[in-house]
Amino acid sequence: MKNDQSLMNEIREANLSYLILAQALLRADRPQAIFQLGVSERTADLIGALTPMQLLKVAAGNMLICRMRFDDEMVWSLLTDNGVRPDHVDGNARRLHASILMAGQYAQSVQA
Amino acid sequence: MKSRSLVNDSAQLQRAIRLIHLGARLQVLQSETDLPHERLLRLYKEVTGKSPAKGQLPFSTDWFVSWQPNIHASLFLNIYEYMNKTSDIDSVDAIVKAYQLYARELAASGVEPLMSITRAWRLVRFVDSNMLCLTPCSRCGGRFVNHTFELTRGYVCGLCAPPARAGKAKREGMIH
Repeated sequence: MKNDQSLMNEIREANLSYLILAQALLRADRPQAIFQLGVSERTADLIGALTPMQLLKVAAGNMLICRMRFDDEMVWSLLTDNGVRPDHVDGNARRLHASILMAGQYAQSVQA
Repeated sequence: MKSRSLVNDSAQLQRAIRLIHLGARLQVLQSETDLPHERLLRLYKEVTGKSPAKGQLPFSTDWFVSWQPNIHASLFLNIYEYMNKTSDIDSVDAIVKAYQLYARELAASGVEPLMSITRAWRLVRFVDSNMLCLTPCSRCGGRFVNHTFELTRGYVCGLCAPPARAGKAKREGMIH
């Protein structure tokens, strides 16, 4: 059984991985990274400016720093193949349908 | 005549090269850069190793609303609008970046990019001139490319209600 300490370590690892990936994406192409990450420009600036030491500090703790970018039941069911399946459409159409819905959800990143 | 800025020239060249690499037609380059025609022609030959295709761009707005292309066009335009709203970049740069993301998204689904960069560029121009727009689907809430002056109340997208024969021919790289 996992104890609290090892779960906390895993959270820190996940946070670190996320921040390092986010910085790599932002360095590669900022506008594309903002789309891929689903964060606001301001958050992108903050993440991009973190030094390695700050990165470690932000990652520590008992809370994940990133959260789900969609809580839309539709997107979930399209991605997981649950729910009602239209007669003719299956396979990659469901994946693309989900992509279109996700790409349309910029409200959060603009308002934040 | 004002003297040309070398820095600006170089930026335009870079932009033109990026577009050529993505397969843009010469008309797109002419419209999106101030470089003289002969220079663009030479650049095109140098990058691709062949002469650019001749003739007009044949595209009408109808292509974008037929079933399979509509899914491609809608995915691209959603990404493009996302980018336009979240980053302060030129329209043509947003087209290039959104097109790359569109192509990657398709690769992840195992679908061939049906829409060329030239068509993507045309699509944005059609939207700018109010001929095409994104219409929300009344079932899934996603936004899909549609003619601007079509009746849009109760619009249902081609993925929620696919036409009877849609996706029956399961060819490699197609949506099914």
